[in-house]
Amino acid sequence: MDPRSVKRYYRKHRKAVIVAVSGLLYAGGWSLGYVPALDTVSTATLILAAIVGGYDIAKAAYHEVKSRTLGVKTLVTLAAIGAIAIGSYWEAAAVVFLFALGSYLEGRTMRKTRNALEELLEMTPDTATVRRDGEQREVPAREVEAGEVVIVRPGEKIPVDGDVIDGETAVNQAPVTGESAPVHKADGDEVYAGTINQEGALEVRTTGAGTDTTLQRIIRRVEEAQEAQSPTESLIDRFARYYTPAIIVLAVGAYAVTQNAILSLTLLVIGCPGALVIGPPVSIVSAVGNAARSGVLMKGGEHLERAGRIDLVAFDKTGTLTKGETAVAAVEGFDTDPDEVLELAAIAEKRSEHHLGDAIRSAARDRLTPATDGGTTVSRTDAESASPDARSLPEPDDFDVVAGKGVVAGHDGRDIVVGNRALLDERGIDVSDEIAEYVRECEESGETVVHVVRDGGVVGAIALRDGLREAAPGVVRELQEAGIETVMLTGDNEGTARAVAEEVGIDDYRAALLPEDKQDIITEYREADHVVAMVGDGINDAPALATADVGIAMGAAGTDTAIETADIALMADDLDRIPYAVKLSKAARRNIYENVGLALVVVTLLLAGVLTSYVTLALGMLVHEASVLAVIGNGMRLLRY
Amino acid sequence: MSETQFRVMDFDCPSCASTVERALANVEGVESVAVHYSTGRVEIRYDAAVTGPDAFEQIIETQGYTPKPA
Repeated sequence: MDPRSVKRYYRKHRKAVIVAVSGLLYAGGWSLGYVPALDTVSTATLILAAIVGGYDIAKAAYHEVKSRTLGVKTLVTLAAIGAIAIGSYWEAAAVVFLFALGSYLEGRTMRKTRNALEELLEMTPDTATVRRDGEQREVPAREVEAGEVVIVRPGEKIPVDGDVIDGETAVNQAPVTGESAPVHKADGDEVYAGTINQEGALEVRTTGAGTDTTLQRIIRRVEEAQEAQSPTESLIDRFARYYTPAIIVLAVGAYAVTQNAILSLTLLVIGCPGALVIGPPVSIVSAVGNAARSGVLMKGGEHLERAGRIDLVAFDKTGTLTKGETAVAAVEGFDTDPDEVLELAAIAEKRSEHHLGDAIRSAARDRLTPATDGGTTVSRTDAESASPDARSLPEPDDFDVVAGKGVVAGHDGRDIVVGNRALLDERGIDVSDEIAEYVRECEESGETVVHVVRDGGVVGAIALRDGLREAAPGVVRELQEAGIETVMLTGDNEGTARAVAEEVGIDDYRAALLPEDKQDIITEYREADHVVAMVGDGINDAPALATADVGIAMGAAGTDTAIETADIALMADDLDRIPYAVKLSKAARRNIYENVGLALVVVTLLLAGVLTSYVTLALGMLVHEASVLAVIGNGMRLLRY
Repeated sequence: MSETQFRVMDFDCPSCASTVERALANVEGVESVAVHYSTGRVEIRYDAAVTGPDAFEQIIETQGYTPKPA
């Protein structure tokens, strides 16, 4: 092997080499100690073991002293020097070797934990192909400017955030949203930097590059979360600040009283509450890192500990438990042709921006477009004369929105009212028992019904339905099995709400709520000592999300505010992740407590053991390092949760 | 005021991170430093006329850790 590669190998594996050499010397010196004639050789070997293993530790200790931190390395160095001074060479070598080995393993495992994030960091490609001055050019990805067109070939990673302007493909969005199934993308769809273009060539108009991409925002959020101190952690830090000096004072005092040097040195070795301070950060880094890889952004620190106490999950109904795409389920005519009812409603709703209006127009488009002459019964001449395409439904002559109730419009000399019972009552429109009965039945089955009124008389009713997400019942059941109460909040009427609640199997529901009511209800639950999570879309439900102990935003990939503000943001619009996120938070909280508990038990036992002389230097160090590794190992379980 | 970041993946204990943090804070021209044990991220705000990333990198290395540009 040429010397340069040996050197490089050494530099890369320096810590491992040092530990191994120190370990071998230690073992050698220890064995030689059994041969009385080789006593001096044994001592020399043990001292050498302590020097090889301890050089780096002593150097770090020097820096600790220089920067006035009272760190573990200073304590270990003092203990080792002290042990040599009183002739306990075996103890000195053992302490140093065990500490070096422990540190090496801790550094390695922590690196692995930190790497959970590095995978994300390496997602974004370094270069992008842009079209500049009519030609394609390869430029560094971070230098692409907003508005520039980037070309992404099949199989490549998308280098920027942007909108597709040409091409059609399937994109693997797992790096951003955690979804394993590829997502179809065509003109106008949003794509994210770091996702993988699997099929066709794409042209993307850049909306963000460099550090201004969704993936980068995610990474920043994840790091902030991992770095945030949890309440437990701050408490421990305060404790540790007093614990270490207290142990040193105790060590000095113990020596003054007992003249037992080994006892004092052993106290120094256990003077750093390693497992205690390492436990909580490892649990949090692992949990947050694991979540990020599954497309779930969790805030760290106190938010994570609070999320671990969730005992009630409130769901917004529309768009959360349901698909959020309302569609016409039935059109009923009362002594009138249903198609005419639909057409009247569609004309009245032509300029409405309400989602019910959208659904009615789209149903009209599907049902009223005459395929062939006399095919579908289009009863009114207006539609036919207007156009074969219902997209160009006639404009209403006048049009008014009655907020929360419906619309009032005029067309071709007829007054049209489309709305709920409240609107009809307000306008003094008579509703026969037969019609009221029909409406009630629809509502009980979970549909929303609008009345269609022509010239003061109800001519029909349109029932609309927002289909349930397939995952909803399973998600609710899973939460219930985890002992969590579930509630649905909705602006819908009682009947619709009850029907959906029954279908989902949710514990409770609150109907006919205005947006601000949702906030009040969350507050009520919190005052009743519940730790409440609210699940919503992060935009319309933002106030309720902010009021809850834990706000969970769904489909956050496209909304920066949700990424920034939600306590838990599900990048994908995927309800399935909620039980996972809630359970992971609980597991993380439990994990923190396990670690703290284990560390406290170990510290107490060690302290008691040292003071009763059962635990000496080497054993103290062994237990100390083993407990640190145990705590890291326990925390890392969350990476595989 | 300039800003730079490093990533140190081999911190082996929380107190190691705070030692590095203090050492960096003592460098002349350094306005603020944050060293995060959990992520290994080192953030430094400094006066570019007085000091710079090379000096920071050297300090981190002297302490026995491997800085990587973030």
